[in-house]
Amino acid sequence: MTEQFNDQISAFIDDELPDEESAFLLRRFERDADARSRAARYTMIGAALRDELVGSDPEILRRRIAAALTGTAPAAQQRPAARVQWRYFRPVVGVGIAATVAVAAIVGLRAVNFARVGAPGGAATLNAPLQARTPEPPPSYVVPREVSDAPVIAPAVRLTNYVMHHSEYASRLNRLPVHSNVVGAGELLPPVETVPAKRETAGE
Amino acid sequence: MRRRSILGHPVLLVTLALVAVDASAQEARSWLDKMNRAVEELNYQGTFVHVLEGNAETLRIIHRREGGRTSERIESLDGAGREIIRHDNQVQCILPDRRVILLEEPKDLSPLVSALPSYSDEIEPHYALDLHAIARVANRTTQILEIKPRDAFRYGYMLWLDQETAMPLKSQLLDDQGAIVEQILFTSIDFHSQIPAQAIAATIDTTGFTTLRPPESSQLAADIPWRAGKVPGGFKLSVATQSQIAGSEYPVEHLVYSDGLATVSVFIEDPHTRSEVSEGFSKMGSTNAFSLTLRGRKVTAVGEVPRQTVRTIASSLVAE
Repeated sequence: MTEQFNDQISAFIDDELPDEESAFLLRRFERDADARSRAARYTMIGAALRDELVGSDPEILRRRIAAALTGTAPAAQQRPAARVQWRYFRPVVGVGIAATVAVAAIVGLRAVNFARVGAPGGAATLNAPLQARTPEPPPSYVVPREVSDAPVIAPAVRLTNYVMHHSEYASRLNRLPVHSNVVGAGELLPPVETVPAKRETAGE
Repeated sequence: MRRRSILGHPVLLVTLALVAVDASAQEARSWLDKMNRAVEELNYQGTFVHVLEGNAETLRIIHRREGGRTSERIESLDGAGREIIRHDNQVQCILPDRRVILLEEPKDLSPLVSALPSYSDEIEPHYALDLHAIARVANRTTQILEIKPRDAFRYGYMLWLDQETAMPLKSQLLDDQGAIVEQILFTSIDFHSQIPAQAIAATIDTTGFTTLRPPESSQLAADIPWRAGKVPGGFKLSVATQSQIAGSEYPVEHLVYSDGLATVSVFIEDPHTRSEVSEGFSKMGSTNAFSLTLRGRKVTAVGEVPRQTVRTIASSLVAE
């Protein structure tokens, strides 16, 4: 998906997309599962960043879709009203399906199946053993990037190696952020062919 | 004669206040200890958002502890879908966008190193610990713990620790002005009594990928003649060794300085190595690096600390 499409989804969630484009997007939600999943995840991230995950904020997208259908502003602060409003739009089958799937994706993502767990080593009631890899839908999307004035410095592969090696010596508090930085470095890395190294090829 | 209330006695009041402060600091240290054990010893899987410089990325972690051994998979749910898989001290970084696997297996992780994050009272001359209110994160009750740096050579932390498990459900890395440098926020987390080994397996088909691994080693020198001549207060040398690093033909001399919370690695390249790291500052997320050439050796300091710290340490390197 293009960056333009990502921006469209982002603008739609923020209620900043023109009506015509919103209508186009809604039609796309009907037939494009990836677009729905992407929108759901954007909503989750936005809610997380605004500390709105507590409560029923996964409804943000649903409210947004409902608002787009009626041409009203999303009732972000009026959750009960939004629910009532939504009830009237259920007959709108196509969009309803899209919204439901999107919301289900969000709810699935944040299905907090928390168990009562004690401190390590202490008495605890835990979730059942994880029997197999949870077949979660493979979320795949690109978070819309904000324009930043900060200079982007492309880290060399060598730097990645250093950071990876360093992470093993980092405190446990810092290891997760360090690994997140490596995993999230994305396309900033230059071609790996520039690195002199002992190589082998998997699967040969 | 009117009797003076016991609480009206100034010396007693000061003493009580000091005892209260000490008890609070002790409780804060206890939370840090619990957190330290929780992130390593619990079985959990969760999704979290990593926010840095206005960019947000979603990642998933599966952490398994079985028979005293730790394994973990972290995968990016965005973009290229990179993965890091760790089995004890063997770390595999899969870069599908480059069709490359980076392998790291530090052989110098002595008990000293595994004891690195010791949240003892030694950190307190350099960080102020403060327990704040209770708050809700990801629908769970958390205890907020602030770790405030006492100078500009280290970052501070605001941690939202799950009240039951002490897992950090939200953490902010803060600069000395209190501005947020980086944020991690769990949007969901599940704890399990057990996690099967196959849950940690790579989800990416790496057939045909190039693996960059440290060269088979030769004898690694135990004596490293280099030391940083100037380190910010509280940073102590924890490790001085030769390391084999993926992508390097020659061993790299490696020093680790830690203040008990933050660590800085200094890598000193063999003079024969053609280094790809450019001189000056660079960074990978919130991890800062500073490189320079000293006596024909490329020196790079890397750490989750402010820029001036990596520069101070790298620039002061001297041969003993």
